[in-house]
Amino acid sequence: MNEIQIGRLLSANSRGFLVGCHVSQVNLPELGALTRVDLENGLAVYGIITDISIAEDGFVRQLATVEPIDETIVRDHRLNRNVPLEIRVLSVGYRSGKQIYHLLPPQPPLGLDQLVLCSPDEVVAFTSTGRFGYLRHLLHEPSPIMIEVLAAHLQCAQRAHLQANQADWSRRAVQEIITWLRDDYPTLIQVLHCLADARLFPDG
Amino acid sequence: MLTNSEPTEQIGYIVGGGLRENLRARLTVPSDQVQEGSFVTIYSGNWTFYGLVTNVQLGATDPRFADEQTEQRFPPAIAQSLLGQTLYTNIEILPVLMLERGPEPGTEAYRRWRGEIDQGLRPEPGILPVKTVPTHHARVNLASAGDIAEIYGSPEDEMNFIVGYTREAGHPVCINLDRFIQRSAGIFGATGTGKSFLTRLLLAGLIQRNRASVLVFDMHNEYGFDDIASDSGLAVKGLRNGFPARVRVVGLGRGSTIRGQAPDFHLEIAMKDIRPADIELLSGVLNLRETTPTTLEALVSSFGVDRWFTEFRAMRNGAMTEDEEGKRIPAVDSVAAWANRSGVHPMAAESLHSKLSILFHRDYIVEQPAADGIGEIVRLLEQGQHVILSFGKYEQDVDYLFVSNLLTRRIREAWERRTDAYRTTQTNEPRPLLIVLEEAHKLLNRELASQTTFSTIAREMRKYYVTLLIVDQRPSQIYDEVMSQLGTRISGWLGDEDDIRAVLAGLAGRETLRGMLSHLQPKEEVLLLGWGVPLPIPLRSRRYDDRFWQEIGRGKVSPASVKQALQELGFDQ
Repeated sequence: MNEIQIGRLLSANSRGFLVGCHVSQVNLPELGALTRVDLENGLAVYGIITDISIAEDGFVRQLATVEPIDETIVRDHRLNRNVPLEIRVLSVGYRSGKQIYHLLPPQPPLGLDQLVLCSPDEVVAFTSTGRFGYLRHLLHEPSPIMIEVLAAHLQCAQRAHLQANQADWSRRAVQEIITWLRDDYPTLIQVLHCLADARLFPDG
Repeated sequence: MLTNSEPTEQIGYIVGGGLRENLRARLTVPSDQVQEGSFVTIYSGNWTFYGLVTNVQLGATDPRFADEQTEQRFPPAIAQSLLGQTLYTNIEILPVLMLERGPEPGTEAYRRWRGEIDQGLRPEPGILPVKTVPTHHARVNLASAGDIAEIYGSPEDEMNFIVGYTREAGHPVCINLDRFIQRSAGIFGATGTGKSFLTRLLLAGLIQRNRASVLVFDMHNEYGFDDIASDSGLAVKGLRNGFPARVRVVGLGRGSTIRGQAPDFHLEIAMKDIRPADIELLSGVLNLRETTPTTLEALVSSFGVDRWFTEFRAMRNGAMTEDEEGKRIPAVDSVAAWANRSGVHPMAAESLHSKLSILFHRDYIVEQPAADGIGEIVRLLEQGQHVILSFGKYEQDVDYLFVSNLLTRRIREAWERRTDAYRTTQTNEPRPLLIVLEEAHKLLNRELASQTTFSTIAREMRKYYVTLLIVDQRPSQIYDEVMSQLGTRISGWLGDEDDIRAVLAGLAGRETLRGMLSHLQPKEEVLLLGWGVPLPIPLRSRRYDDRFWQEIGRGKVSPASVKQALQELGFDQ
């Protein structure tokens, strides 16, 4: 299986983990993408990328003032920098054997475990399990950034479902989100505006 | 054994409520598929509940979803999902009856349950008044034709008569004619709502099924011969023409014609049959004075109960003569002279004579009738024929009150005699009789009710095999005590709050039914309710047209003997 490796774990807890990776990687993951960490005990922990940050490494401030900057220097900065690009992942479920659970993992991944991007098939399998239970991890405390992540995730997952000829998935996902949030009018309206901007449906 | 009918499409599920405040169900179909008054079934475990939709209510999880037109803010797919999840319609259901269905047929549990019934260890399931409530999320369906037949009876049953159809699905709804005539009944509705058509319809059913004799006091000459509907201009078949061998039209007065046609015979009233009470009944319409009873008593005392009317009629009112001294005094055959002889105030007697002149000049009141019309009517009714007494040209209230009360008094006496004889000899059981009274409030209002024979019939004549069918547009004018005695009630649209209250008097769930009654369509919709009806239901009434007569023609005529019919009716106790 041609899995796209993203990076290695820097830190983790039950709710999520922080991953470090090179900036130059060709397939830099998207916000909202579904990822996986395989644990040594056979469990696989699934998470959604909720933040990607590139920290300053001490030299970049000086380089940024140089004009024109040589392309070689840019590449060197990205390949050889000391501070990795950081990806924050929210745990949304795990797999034990063939069974997928939309629960927090029994134990978090360990340092330097590898984070991989889930394939479209795996995305379809994970997001089709149950009734969108994994989305509650995103909606538990629906901050503005989490709402954006939710929209980004639905975009990513929808692509996988369209490939699998499951065009109805997005509509069902939106219905479920409405059901969860219908008693919280302000949040639901905020979420729906965000989903409208994500253009999940052919009619806009 | 009761049949379990195939359920129809689910329309919702129970979300709350109780026996006192009705059940609430969330609709899963568009609200326009359910109407107030819809008959619904609720499937809950081993029980089926039957109820009526009494309210349809829009709701929202948050009022702001309803306030804002979110469909204009979001793409159609999102807006549709949002509205579907946050806006909803609830219905309120008045639960009325329940039926134990038992476990799922075909299962071991069902076989056990059925076995216990067959062995007599548990009673055969039957329709019961509701005593509990269905569970949360119990399925709610619109009633199927089978459900309707379960509650109101199957149209195939000889004693059931289709009176209308459910408004949504058009399932036939029957009334049991046996129950219908067991107690006095009423047909109500504002002018133009189709009371007369409905009455014709029911009478045709009763005549065809041959369960009771019918006497119609046809004040406006509508029921006997063919007529033209005032609103549609279409021909309306008369009962005499529909059942020429069983219905007799009687015209009031010698030589009278009804809509240009000759009746089967004429009714004349013998003066000797008129009693003081028949006159006192007319106090309102003739504006009689308070002295009238005293004067009448004196007349009876002077001439006897059989002659008083004849003698009084023959007196000359105001006739004077001169005595030997040339003084003007009342003539010997004058009213005043009789009054003076009898110790009655002459002015009171003259006033009564003057006011009774309207009766003195009626040609249907004669000293010696050509035939015993009243006796003939009684005889026909006893023989199982049906009589329509048409008032012909005598459409005034005074004629209607006078004749209908006098005739009914005679009939009542005859039926009481026959009943008493039957109870002694156990032979010749009286045939049930239904007396149809149009404009009933004229005879059964608060002032007159206690004086007429009709209120007695409404109250207690069931045991003498006589009941009333009162037809009226102002039920609020009918005496409460009479209204409360009515069994089956069929009402078209009523606008007046007092009339609505009167129709619902004595019934459970009045507040709920009130809304249904006031929301009926002005034509061809009726609310069927009361003692003879297991569950109140609004209906699209059956049409009284050629098709109806074709269907009646195809129906079987009851072969049941009078005795058999009476036993089934419970009159043989």
